[in-house]
Amino acid sequence: MLLTLLSHQWKAQLRSSIFQKSLVLNIILGLFILYFGSIFLLLGFGMHEILTKFHPGQNVIGIFNGALLFCFLIDLFFRFLMQELPVLAVQPYLHLPISKNRLVHYVLLKSIPSIFNLFPLLFFVPFMFTTVIPAYGTTTGLAWLAALFLVTLLNNFLLLYFKRLMSTKPLYTLGFGLAISLLMLLDYLHVVSLRAASEAVFGALFVTPWLAAVPLVLVVGAYLLNFYYLRAHTYPEELNLRKTAEASGRDITFLNRFGELGKLIELELKLIWRHKRTKSVVSLSVVFLFYGFIFYGKGTYLEGFAMLIFVGIILSGMPMFNYGQFVPGWQSAHFDGLLTQKNISPYQFYEAKYWMMVPVTVLAFVLTLPYGFFGSKIILINAATLLYNIGVNVFVIFFFSVYNKERLDLSKGATFNWQGVGASKFVMMLPAMLLPILIYLPFGLMGVPYAGIAALGGLGLLGIIFRKQLLQWSANRFIAHKYKLAAGFRQSN
Amino acid sequence: MLTIHNLQKIYNGTTVVNLPELTINAGEAVGLVGNNGAGKTTLFRMLLDLIRPSKGEVQLKDVNVMQSDAWKSYTGSYLDEGFLIDYLTSEEYFKFIGDLHGLSGGDVAERLAPFTDLFNGEILNQRKYIRDYSKGNQKKIGIAAAALSNPELLILDEPFANLDPSSQIRLKNLLKKLREERRMTMFISSHDLSHVIDVCERIVILEKGQVVQDMQTTENTLQELETYFTV
Repeated sequence: MLLTLLSHQWKAQLRSSIFQKSLVLNIILGLFILYFGSIFLLLGFGMHEILTKFHPGQNVIGIFNGALLFCFLIDLFFRFLMQELPVLAVQPYLHLPISKNRLVHYVLLKSIPSIFNLFPLLFFVPFMFTTVIPAYGTTTGLAWLAALFLVTLLNNFLLLYFKRLMSTKPLYTLGFGLAISLLMLLDYLHVVSLRAASEAVFGALFVTPWLAAVPLVLVVGAYLLNFYYLRAHTYPEELNLRKTAEASGRDITFLNRFGELGKLIELELKLIWRHKRTKSVVSLSVVFLFYGFIFYGKGTYLEGFAMLIFVGIILSGMPMFNYGQFVPGWQSAHFDGLLTQKNISPYQFYEAKYWMMVPVTVLAFVLTLPYGFFGSKIILINAATLLYNIGVNVFVIFFFSVYNKERLDLSKGATFNWQGVGASKFVMMLPAMLLPILIYLPFGLMGVPYAGIAALGGLGLLGIIFRKQLLQWSANRFIAHKYKLAAGFRQSN
Repeated sequence: MLTIHNLQKIYNGTTVVNLPELTINAGEAVGLVGNNGAGKTTLFRMLLDLIRPSKGEVQLKDVNVMQSDAWKSYTGSYLDEGFLIDYLTSEEYFKFIGDLHGLSGGDVAERLAPFTDLFNGEILNQRKYIRDYSKGNQKKIGIAAAALSNPELLILDEPFANLDPSSQIRLKNLLKKLREERRMTMFISSHDLSHVIDVCERIVILEKGQVVQDMQTTENTLQELETYFTV
């Protein structure tokens, strides 16, 4: 029976329109997985040397074990952000003679082969072979690996449980999150040492390998917790996270001052606030604001310009790219309605989008101003890229927007959601991110980098000055493509 | 009011709609009947400039709908859920449509008053989003929004489908009233022959994209239609 269910699921994946439609997307996805997989693998093999290099004379395994607890906590955090709940479409099976238990087992077991659980193995297994087994022998090594894998699974099931509770008993989830944050805080304040605790816990495995049974018991416990919860809630309306929501949010009277334009912006803000997918786009954009640390933290990048331009474009532009890449697909569900309404011209449609993106982009710029502590040059470059983003890139996005013909289902989250992501998205990103560097390049090569930065800012200013014409141009393109867009949006997948 | 010249829509070599000539005068109420796949919705979408015709044109008040947006100010329409902004509450949606037509909050309430019976207390003040209403209630919202601006031309696609019997009768009476009081021109498709005959004085039968009959409603019309559709 489980196999039949599995084959159904497999068919659902294989026959989903997204999978079939976009070969390019799948190739790119495959490349991503290969890339990160090989990074994990290489890290696993190289970890022994890296640790000996940075901590000469110390016990490598001890240091590794010390970091584990911390890693697992971070793992929990990322799972919370990105892991989707495995809701098998159980609805079509519920009225058939299949026992409920079996369906629930299936839903739970299906969550095991996910990237989150398998990728850590790519890292742990090589480390076991290069370091743990030579030091403690095969049996102990395997017990150690088993314990780590079981803790990964424990994370998996704990998170599923608490994420599921979030819709019914949000306080439990909040408490769980607070407990973990408290733990981190105490460690930071040196009240408790996660490092020492972690080293002691995982180190104990080497003395008494059968302790690996402890995480096993915990995993079984967490599994049962999920199992009983799910079995009691197999009703579609309870399983589905989408419940009938109480209407929230009021009219934003401030926007009334801007007439039709304000109305459209208000409508769009409500759209963002009232859908899961748009909300997760917003939270994702916030995460990207921290992207700067990766680059600015390293001194080497601060010497050059090209890399900083790239980072600057991303820092202030990411919310705009994230949201803009699907325009006008956000309105796909009521696109026909918009087209037949009086007083919504394509020009206004784009103007509203423009005046939504500009404040957001400026806000992102302001929020990332503190990066200036790494060097005042950063502020200058980010200001130029800000101008470029709201003068040029916004129209690059509008240019490509007329190719977004896929209907979006806004009730699903954005992470790992490839609906509506087509090859055009990747093509779109190229001019948006590479063009500014290409513009800068000749100036950089001639040895006048600051003139290159000024050129970027100047181009942006030109775009801002001629925005009316550019908006009209975008609207004209929209008019030329609107039938195709409307036809595409009508097709629900 | 509405003139169609030589209108054709061809998908992959199949002609879905082919209307050499069709005119609807101001104040007329025309019912469009035909089996599934006859091209009713496609025709309506072309009237509303949602699909590009393969050939020919649609004129509202002698202006091609593809060339000017002027028709939007006097045309109210509801074809399917794609017309509803489903993440708004019903009040927010009515207000939004009202705003587009320059109506005040009081105007909107006044225009919605005739709908009180049809709404049956299930539409307003529900504190939920349109996407969470049932299909039938969504339809009521859509129809009310289409009529909100007092349009000269009202286009509805199967307004009676998904409604319970009482609502169907209430809607029928409402449409008649709108015609009498506000002289609305109507173009309505329906599978419910008796209702559509009640509301409309002229019936057009569409089959495979072509008009096969175009007649004025008499007391024999229902019988004629039933004979026609009996296979």
